[in-house]
Formats: sequence, C-alpha cells, structure tokens
Amino acid sequence: MIRVENLCLSVGTFALRRVCLDVGPGEYFVLLGPTGSGKTLLLECLCGLYRLDSGRVAIAGRDVTAAESRHRQIGFLPQDYALFPHLTVRENIAFGLRRAGADRRQLRQQVEQLMVELGVAHLADRRPRGLSGGEKQRVALARALAVRPQVLLLDEPVSALDESTRDDICRLLRQLNRQTGTTVLHVCHNFGEMMLVADRAAVMANGRIIQVGTPSEILRRPASLTVAQFVQPGNLLPAAKWLAAIGQRKVDSPRAATSCNADASSHGQAAGHDVVMPDAVLRAGDRTHQTCCPAQASATRKTHSGQHTWVMIRCENIRVLTAAPESPPPGVTILPGRLVEITDLGATVRLRTVVDSGLELLAAPGKREYSSDNYFLDQNVFLEIAHKDVHLVAEDGHSPL
Amino acid sequence: MFAASTLAFVVLFVIGWLALFATDLNYVLADAYRRMPVGPEDGNPLWLALRGLASAARVLGEREILAALWLSLWTSSLSVIIGLLMAIPIGYAMSRYRFLTHPLAEAIIDLPIILPPVIVGLSLLVFFQSPVGKWIENSLVQFVFQRKGIVLCQLMVSASLGIRAAALTFDGIDPRLEHVAMTLGCTRAGAFFRVALPMAVRGLVVAGILIWTRAFGLFGPLMVFVGAVRFRTEVLPTTIYLEQSVGRLEVALTVALFMVLLAAVGLVIVRTIGLRVQK
Repeated sequence: MIRVENLCLSVGTFALRRVCLDVGPGEYFVLLGPTGSGKTLLLECLCGLYRLDSGRVAIAGRDVTAAESRHRQIGFLPQDYALFPHLTVRENIAFGLRRAGADRRQLRQQVEQLMVELGVAHLADRRPRGLSGGEKQRVALARALAVRPQVLLLDEPVSALDESTRDDICRLLRQLNRQTGTTVLHVCHNFGEMMLVADRAAVMANGRIIQVGTPSEILRRPASLTVAQFVQPGNLLPAAKWLAAIGQRKVDSPRAATSCNADASSHGQAAGHDVVMPDAVLRAGDRTHQTCCPAQASATRKTHSGQHTWVMIRCENIRVLTAAPESPPPGVTILPGRLVEITDLGATVRLRTVVDSGLELLAAPGKREYSSDNYFLDQNVFLEIAHKDVHLVAEDGHSPL
Repeated sequence: MFAASTLAFVVLFVIGWLALFATDLNYVLADAYRRMPVGPEDGNPLWLALRGLASAARVLGEREILAALWLSLWTSSLSVIIGLLMAIPIGYAMSRYRFLTHPLAEAIIDLPIILPPVIVGLSLLVFFQSPVGKWIENSLVQFVFQRKGIVLCQLMVSASLGIRAAALTFDGIDPRLEHVAMTLGCTRAGAFFRVALPMAVRGLVVAGILIWTRAFGLFGPLMVFVGAVRFRTEVLPTTIYLEQSVGRLEVALTVALFMVLLAAVGLVIVRTIGLRVQK
C-alpha cells in the first residue's frame, strides 16, 4: 500500500538518507525512533509537504512523488492534532467532506455517524479550545477518517495523553484499522504503544531505517547496537565482559548463516544473532547489508567480521533465585551474585545485582515472584539466564543514542 | 522591592504624559472660560467642563476643521484598506517562506518604522521629479500636492506597521493546520483562505488599527509632499500646525486633544484584541 524507494531529503543539517519502506494493504505499521531520528519528516514526506531530493513514493500502487497532498488519498493526524480552532467539532469533521463536494444531507449523515462511532457526538457544537486531550484526539481522528483515506498517517497520536486514555485510543485505532481495512502508519517512540497496535514496525535513527520486523523481533532481537540501545533491554554489555563473567574467553566469528530480517529496509543493517553458551560456541560479528531497493538488489549481502560485539539480555528474562538450584536445567546459565539495589516500579521490581566477576546485571521479576522470594539488600542470589535469551548485537555505523 | 521599583517607573512615565495632556486641557478650558459669558453657575467644576466641551465642539465644528477631519478620516481609512491588501500577502510570505534575501527584505520593510517620516515625503517628492515619476504623474495618476498623494504618503509610512503585525499574526498560526487542510482536499491557496486567514482575523484587525492610527497622525511627509492647502490637502495634523502658526493655540490644542483621544481609543482596542489573540 505504501512503498518508499530510496527517499532522500535534506532539511538544514538533517537528512533522510536512502529510506526504503514497504507497508502492506491493511497493515498497522509503527515507525519507532528516538527524537530527531527523522520519523516526522518521513511522515511529512508521505503527506507531500516536501519536494524530495530524490527517490519515489507510491501509495496504493500509484506514484505520488510529485502529487499534491490532496491527491494522495491520505489522512494525516499530526502530533498536536491541529484541530482548526475557529471551527466547531462538527465543522472540523466536515471540513474534508466539504472540500470533496459532498452534498449537504450526505455530509451531515456521515459527520453524525462518525461522531457517534468515535464518541464525540456530545461535543458537536463545541470549539476545540475547551476539549481534553483524548477528546481532541478523537475529533482529529474523525476528521481524518471522514474523507475515507486509503492510508492513515499518525504522528505520535497518543504521546500527549495520560496512560489510560492512551490505551483507549490505541485500542480504538487498532479496531478502526481492522474494521475499515485502512493501512495505518503510526509514528511513536514508546514500546508499549508499539506492542498494543503494530503488525510490524521499523526503527529509525539518524535519518535511516535500521530495522524492520515484528514488534517482538525488534524488542527481543535488535539487529544492531543502535536498536539495542533504543529498546532499553536493561542489560547491554560488551561481549568480552560477558565472557569473563561466564568463564568463556573467545567469540567465534563469523557465522555462516545469518538471521537478518527478510524485509529489512535499510542498506546499513547489522544483523543480530542468538548465542549458545557457556560451554558451546559463542557466535557474533556478522554484518549484513540487505535492502528492498532495486538500486541495491544486486548487492544484498556483504559480510564483515571482527567488529566490536555486544551482549543483550532483557532484564525481565533474568530470574533471580535466592538459593542455588540443585541441578540446573539444560540451556541455562546460573551466575552467583549479590543484590545491591531494589526499586519497586509498581507492576515489576527492578533488582540491581553484581555477579562474582564484578559485572552488574539488572533483573525485573514480576511483583508476585518478588514478594514470594522476599529479597533484601546485600542478599546472595543466583541469576538464572536461559541461553535463548542472550542475544548478540554488532556495533553499526550509527552513533550511540 | 524590585517589582515596586519597576512599577514606580511605569507610574512616573504615565504621570509625565498625563501631566502634559492635563496642561493642554487646562489651557483649552481656561480659554473657554475667558470667552464664554459668566453665568450663575460660575465656579462649579461641572459647569466649567461643560463650557470646555461646548468650546471644543465649536472649534471642531468650524468648516475648515471639519473638512480637515473628513479628509483625515477618509484618507486614513483608504490607507487601511490598501495597506491591509498589501500587508496580508507580504506578512504571510515573510512568515511562511525563507528565501535568500529574506533578511534584506525584512530590513527594508521595517525601515519606515525607524526612519523619520519626513524622509518618506522628501523621497517621494524627488521620485516624482524623476523621468519615471513624471511619466506616472503625466500618464497615470497625479500625486504631488494632490489628495491621492496623502494616501500614498500615509501608505508608505504606515504599511510597514501593518506588515509587521500581519507577519507576527501568521507566525503565531501553526503551519501544520494548513498542512492538514491540504491533506483534507485544499490547495495551498485554499488552506490559506479557509484556515490561516480566518484564524488571523483578530491580528489583522490590530494591523488595520495600527495603520489607521499611524496614517491619521501623519504630518511631516504630508507637509513636504502635498503641502497644507486649506480645503484641499489639509488634514488634522496640518491643522494643528497652521492654527498654532497663526496664534490660535487654543484651537490647535483642541484638535490635538481630539487626536490624542482618537489615538488612545485605537490603542486600547489594539491592546484588548491583541491580548485576546495571545490567549
């Protein structure tokens, strides 16, 4: 439904560099990235608000690179909702329909229906100024949907809302996506938001897309150090330190078969690999270049080895035991250590531990596990880490976040 | 303590100006008192004020002053219309687009705000002595020592204030609103007329009032460019000059106070609307 090929655009000192993206019909696609990574700029390019330096944008199979915004059949919802303050809620929602030349009766029916569907009928004659964030969001959504767009572009649509309203709106967005079949491209920098709505997601950094995959893949199998840093796993450490902690001395590299994403859209993607440990082989260091762009189709894979490698372990995947297990299950490493900090985060507890080699590891057990195990400071504990949860990432060409 | 000190400066400044106007008012009232026959209510402050008002009405009712007032009113109103027609597109372009000579264009637009207005009159006079100016005078419109010249002079001096106010207004309107309008089916021009312009109305009213007050009070360039011919090119500021030069100080002061009153009303409206826009 949305196809972006080699999109390049410079705005001042910032540039989008050879961005490629492919979003399927009816798909809910999330574009993740830290502030200043170029997400909003890319979205505005899709809206037709910039003339591209080079590249091509197609929506629903039609090349819209040079088309005006109004001819792209898109609905755009900017970060601050951009409701027209001089119009009432009803007039805001009817704005696009009026431009499309809908007759008065049909227009009124459609607007009323949308207002009921999105739960803003009681606000019809109010102006945006007095509405709450959630109400504004619903009105802006109704306005964007009124023109029946093929593609809905949402720029951080729930970032300014409180947590409960954010969840409600995310559910509503997902429901609308399923009901209407509208393709959605949603920009955000919150993993919870991504997990709630996304079929697939992409991570952007420094004007490039550096990983495309399912939300789970992005969180648990980041393809590069930049992505790993962005997804905040809790434990991201140089492989050498990890090897010292588990008593292993060597990183074997490279691995013959890499497990990069088949549809990764950046030509500078670093692949991540699972690690078998501690007594088996630890593999890392591959760097795979893969692209969907025709320009690079012939050069889909190049491998370099010997670069700096990092180990990522999500903190929720580390179990903290108060007694050493008599016979550890296969595929699991047990590291003895000491509890140095306990932070109650509500739903979870964050336990900072120092293992015997001096390595600091963060664990986040569930609240029930925490209360039953009765942890206390300076307690001797045993960290149980499954081999499948240890993930290696290679340093990429991007600067650390 | 700091707040009190700053407020003291405000009070001193305001009192200074009020004292100046009060002296003028006292002069006008004293003159009215001298001229009017002494009545039974002599000494009553209300009666004195009524006498002053009657005297002011008499002065403002004089034929030549009424003619100057009318000329001032219609020329400055026409300047507002033409000024806004210029200020809206220029202000919008200056706010939305950045081009190579943007700083230079901004400086030229702001120049008339900073320069002594008499320079504008002098420049216009010299321009219309040039071949291009003479051709305009002979083939298109005559400006020098004509009423149309009053409007031209007023425009040249006051349009900059309007442009600056319009540009600031459009700066305050998020361009994203227009972007959204464009995704909803508007052309760029459509987005301007349906979103930016309706939202800018209050700011443009302020721009209009600024142009009007500036044009209404213009004197120096008019003396140079159109002269001060009674019943022809005499506007209220010129009247003040002419009246005081023939020794009718009380008339000059009455007209001056009338202009102060009009300017004060205009500024209060600007402040009120301006504050509402900010909210």
